[in-house]
Amino acid sequence: MTDQNVEKVALQTEESRNQSRRTFLKGSAAVAGGVLFTKAASADAQMGFDPKKAVAPYAGKAEITDVLQDQAARKSLGFGVRKYPYGMPSPFEKEVQRRTLEWLTPDSMASITMTPIQSLHGIITPNGLHFERFHGGVPTINPDDHRLVIHGLVERPLIFTMDDLKRFPSVSKIVTVECPANGALEWKGVQLNSVQWTHGMMSCVEYTGVRLSDLLKEAGIKPEGKWLIPEGADASGMARSLPLEIAMDDCFIAYAQNGEALRREQGYPIRLVVPGCEANMWVKYLRRIMVHDVPMQHREETSKYTELMPDGTAQRFSWYMEANSVITYPSPDFKMQGPGKYYVRGLAWSGRGKVAHVDVTFDGGKNWKEAHFTSAVLDKAWTRFEVEWDWDGSETFLMSRTTDETGYVQPPMPQMRSLEGTNNVYHRTAMVTWRVHAWEDGKNGGMIENVQY
Amino acid sequence: MFSTKKTFVAAAIATLFTGSAFAMSGSSDGAATGGDKIDGKYAANFEQIIKDADGKYLDRAVIEAILGADAAHGRDGLMGKLDPANPYSFEVEDSIDGGNHGNAQCKIPLAFTEVHDNVKANYTHDSDFVARGFGTPISEASLEIWDIVVDGDGKGLPDPSVGMTVEEGGKVYVQFCGMCHGDFGEGAKGYLPLAVEEDLVTSDFSAPAPMKAVGNYWPYAVTLFDYIRRTMPFWTPNAPYIGDAGYMGMTGYILQSNYIPMDDEGTELEDETFFNAEVLMKMNKYMKNQGNFFCDHRPVIHNARCMTNCDDSLVGDGKGDINNFKQARLLPDGTPQYNVPQRMHEDKPGVGHSGM
Repeated sequence: MTDQNVEKVALQTEESRNQSRRTFLKGSAAVAGGVLFTKAASADAQMGFDPKKAVAPYAGKAEITDVLQDQAARKSLGFGVRKYPYGMPSPFEKEVQRRTLEWLTPDSMASITMTPIQSLHGIITPNGLHFERFHGGVPTINPDDHRLVIHGLVERPLIFTMDDLKRFPSVSKIVTVECPANGALEWKGVQLNSVQWTHGMMSCVEYTGVRLSDLLKEAGIKPEGKWLIPEGADASGMARSLPLEIAMDDCFIAYAQNGEALRREQGYPIRLVVPGCEANMWVKYLRRIMVHDVPMQHREETSKYTELMPDGTAQRFSWYMEANSVITYPSPDFKMQGPGKYYVRGLAWSGRGKVAHVDVTFDGGKNWKEAHFTSAVLDKAWTRFEVEWDWDGSETFLMSRTTDETGYVQPPMPQMRSLEGTNNVYHRTAMVTWRVHAWEDGKNGGMIENVQY
Repeated sequence: MFSTKKTFVAAAIATLFTGSAFAMSGSSDGAATGGDKIDGKYAANFEQIIKDADGKYLDRAVIEAILGADAAHGRDGLMGKLDPANPYSFEVEDSIDGGNHGNAQCKIPLAFTEVHDNVKANYTHDSDFVARGFGTPISEASLEIWDIVVDGDGKGLPDPSVGMTVEEGGKVYVQFCGMCHGDFGEGAKGYLPLAVEEDLVTSDFSAPAPMKAVGNYWPYAVTLFDYIRRTMPFWTPNAPYIGDAGYMGMTGYILQSNYIPMDDEGTELEDETFFNAEVLMKMNKYMKNQGNFFCDHRPVIHNARCMTNCDDSLVGDGKGDINNFKQARLLPDGTPQYNVPQRMHEDKPGVGHSGM
């Protein structure tokens, strides 16, 4: 379209706005309570209408008519059933992928990918986008050859086939699984501009399986049995020490994820689910649970997954994931569409229970507005929040803050840094800040940048 | 109880001399409702206090009612949680000195009432449970083939007859480990170094994170044997051609590279020392950093949920300035460019540390 047309569209838009305002003003005299609106409208008239600041994203641009033409989708048949016996997303969604940073780890068998949280909606992570964390690559295990053993300080050591496990009463639960290194890249400052990098080491799916307490009672724990040592059948032989209290609280052994069998990346055929606790404890490819009197002091609970404090001491057995939240829209993957109304949305979760409140600030933490929930509010699961925001086009510092049902309030980063330093690696659960650049800011106008206080 | 936690003890003494009270030792607990105290410090009726507050056991007012007025404040709150009698403590009595550097344990704090209620319902008070009889009994003997767990006390280590000299162990190490971890444990190809002497305290918050290796960080020597037998060499873990003797020898070589002593005199391994489970257990008591670990102390921050005109300490940079923020590194033309230090090989690869 020519420049003339662009101008014409802009003028038309202005005209129609003025026209509708006149109509509105005329009618408003008859409307009770119309005074307030009239005031707002006349303030607008004083400022004058600038098509570049129009709320509608197409205003001031070329009129879009090409897309109204019937295309192949309308004029020819689509593909038939069973073209894809296992369905895949539209090719236009091909950028929505798990991604990794090649510099994080020296090889891909002991590495991590992050979930594209900025592209997700609701509270469920599709199985193909569930984040991955391997310590020895992904084994492909035939479930017919796989067994689970419970032994050690038990009355009756037992061996279970996968069919045995499915014979037990089942439990289905939507829970968040989060690597405690989620957010680790941000301890010393910001590095990357995407929620995928700042918060992507987590997912939220519906797991189905058998209660761990049922299996442990079946084997009968001896009084001196205080710890469980779950162990995987993969190359890393992953193991951790789990206190009996956590095991008997709400753990289960999952064989399904979002309605289908676990994916290999997530532990097929079975994995341990430890709701609310760091994902390293959720041992995948689970093959045995040894009931023991003391913890094991495995490398993953001594050398790793411990938090170095500023004074040189270190915190160990930091099982619980603290309450956390992040704004996913707008976030650094997006650009503002101009001043006007936005529905700021994001995710909140807590390893200690349900999310009670989420508040959002637009001024760097001075004042807060409570968001409402647009999803179910579930125990130890993602909760989707949303809050209305009128953006005036000026520079804004967006943050979200969650309060969970235990009364814990998510802290700001300077506070967490002053107490815990920056060498922890794990459990960086303070708020992040999205800086929305002013709309009139040259090439960066409307850009959303990850910054840190 | 805290004798091995040198840093904390030093810090606690420093705090006492500056005049501010050590965490819960004060009597400023006017907020506590019950008369009875645990150890004269903590409200004995903490369960009732939590119940009355709708189970909000981490609410600032609830914590202060149970522990006293100072408990909800940063470093003091952390120090107070080193006392196992504190209802918010993860620590277990005698966990640290149960034997010199014995197997440290941690627990779920008593104040996490919801967890304990679930444990009662699912286990300790579940008198109705009837076994379903699914699954098949199996003998411990038949599981020996899987039994590779060595715990912090050394249970599960091979017989003392299994081992080799440190020198022989070094040869096995160079053959199977050196290409990724360096012949002297200095690291290679981005894989983790096993022996570096870096200070765990950095000069300031922006300084590069210290490298954590066996000598300067690992609390247990036995963990090394368990881990390398379980997972190494990376491409062919738990290799039968290395066997327990080979894994024992490699363990000895790595501990020697880290200068771990085996007695109060600081005796170190000689090349001709026959390294076996007994020597390993001696060294397990002399890991340099063992006394510096403590159980989870979180949460350490107990903010009130402020909605309007919040205090400057909670706004922006922590001093009320919302324009004082850090950005990712920029290229000369102002383009945000991330991960510059790693790409330029200025920083080691890793998530704020060397490898995951």
